[in-house]
Amino acid sequence: MPLIKLQSSDGEVFQVDFDIAKASVTIKTMVEDLGLEDDDEEIVPLPNVNAGILKKVIQWATYHKDDPPPADDDEGREKRTDDISSWDADFLKVDQGTLFELILAANYLDIKGLLDVTCKTVANMIKGKTPEEIRKTFNIKNDFTAAEEDQVRKENEWCEEK
Amino acid sequence: MTMETLARDAPSSMHHHNNSSVSNMKHNYVQLSKTCLDEDAQINKKLPKELLLRIFSYLDVVSLCRCAQVSRAWNVLALDGSNWQKIDLFDFQTDVEGPVIENISRRCGGFLRQISLRGCQSVGDGSLKTLAQCCNYIEYINLNGCKRITDSTSQSLSQYCKKLLSLDIGSCSIVSDLSLKAISDGCPNLTSVNISWCDGITENGVEALAHGCPKLKSFISKGCTRMTTRAINCLAQHCVKLEVINLHGCNNIEDEAVIKLANNCNSLKYVCLANCSLLTDNCLVALAEQCYQLNTLEVAGCSQFTDIGFLALSKTCHLMEKMDLEECVFITDSTLFHLAMGCPRLEYLSLSHCELITDEGIKHLSTSTCASEHLAVLELDNCPLITDASFDHLINCHNLQRIMLYDCQLITRNGIKRLRTHLPNINVHAYFAPVTPPPSTGNSRKHYCRCCAIL
Repeated sequence: MPLIKLQSSDGEVFQVDFDIAKASVTIKTMVEDLGLEDDDEEIVPLPNVNAGILKKVIQWATYHKDDPPPADDDEGREKRTDDISSWDADFLKVDQGTLFELILAANYLDIKGLLDVTCKTVANMIKGKTPEEIRKTFNIKNDFTAAEEDQVRKENEWCEEK
Repeated sequence: MTMETLARDAPSSMHHHNNSSVSNMKHNYVQLSKTCLDEDAQINKKLPKELLLRIFSYLDVVSLCRCAQVSRAWNVLALDGSNWQKIDLFDFQTDVEGPVIENISRRCGGFLRQISLRGCQSVGDGSLKTLAQCCNYIEYINLNGCKRITDSTSQSLSQYCKKLLSLDIGSCSIVSDLSLKAISDGCPNLTSVNISWCDGITENGVEALAHGCPKLKSFISKGCTRMTTRAINCLAQHCVKLEVINLHGCNNIEDEAVIKLANNCNSLKYVCLANCSLLTDNCLVALAEQCYQLNTLEVAGCSQFTDIGFLALSKTCHLMEKMDLEECVFITDSTLFHLAMGCPRLEYLSLSHCELITDEGIKHLSTSTCASEHLAVLELDNCPLITDASFDHLINCHNLQRIMLYDCQLITRNGIKRLRTHLPNINVHAYFAPVTPPPSTGNSRKHYCRCCAIL
């Protein structure tokens, strides 16, 4: 398997099997467009991903290298979030900052499987919580005035159990 | 005013530049502490709107409504129409009243594609008019059991929702032919309609629908007792793309209707004629001659059907997966013999109350391709001639998951036990009455029932 070199924003270089790296549509396109498949000296710069995050992304892609290609069915997508594998769940036991960085990296590198599972993880942090619990979870400040808060509560109380 | 506009109009923080160094320091300090505070809400700081919306796309309506109460920014995000393309309010049916629908209508606007208000009995024409006016791009609407709605709702949908593909007004018992006339005028792309249990709908409504909606693929009218042969003839004539038709309990339908359907609608895959008791083998022969795609046939209670009809079907309809032949009382082992040969994909077969079926028929079925690979459910309840001998053959049905044996008097516990040793995961539905004690031979005591004691 040909190796390619990926350089993180902070200058660290990672050697990765191309078969693993091409989980990233961004990297795959870049390598193919530039004809780098046979050139193991060329370095692919990834200015939006730091070494710590890139390492995690490579770890994820390595574990998932034999996954079937993700279905491109965002329109008919089910809203399921209970289908995260236990490996992924363990892998994503990280602080919020890292989790958000992974979402950004997955989005920039265009790795649908990683983007889906990270977004689902955050969705699971929201589900089942009251507004106040959500604020606490993410340290969000309540910037409604009392009157506004009262109004949004009224607008949205129909879905609460009575 | 909704919170969306409030949040949008919220003033952004202003930056004042001042030459005084003290003021500058103060300004920097304010900036610094603000940064520290913001550092905490990393989710908002790090993730751009489109990624936050992607996260929100995994949330159900309850979570979205709670997110809307978190902060001004989250209110805008949670109420973004892109989160509200598909809505199912079935779980909130008892709470959903007019104002909720109107509120949702404004939230969703042109984003809304699919909405289910199944069972929302408090919802009336007024709210649904608002919905139709705000959400012109609805493709799928389920109003099953919204008992208060009248033809006026159909007229709103017809007027504003020209893209409608699927309409379910099942059990909306007040609607009449005018509803179908309105829909046929305004929604030419309709592919799926359910008017089950709408007692007010007659052949006139269906005729209008057939004229106006030639793209119809699915027509479901369970329990529409006023449905006639003429109505179905109209459908067959104009809606030749029909794939699904359910006429359960439309007991005035005659052979002519089904024959015309079979002749014109060759793509039929799902046909339910349950309890259409006037129908004869001529229907099955017609389906067999024209509809090779058929995979589901439900004809429970079509008691005139015989082996002749099913012989014809098994010769051409090789894709059959599900057959409900309950109470087709005339069929014999011959039907099973032919199905075994001609329908290798059969997964579900109901022979309840087919009283002429014997072990011989089960033997044929069990040696077929469908038995060894597909057959998952077999209903044999009230087949009085079936004995434990059938189990010797059924053990070949490796995929069998459920078998119904109620009231099969010749089946014994031991037989079932034996079946289970071969098919350990099978779900057996059977009932054995408690054993009646044998009549006592000794004359120790005579039993009289009390009412007879007087005699």
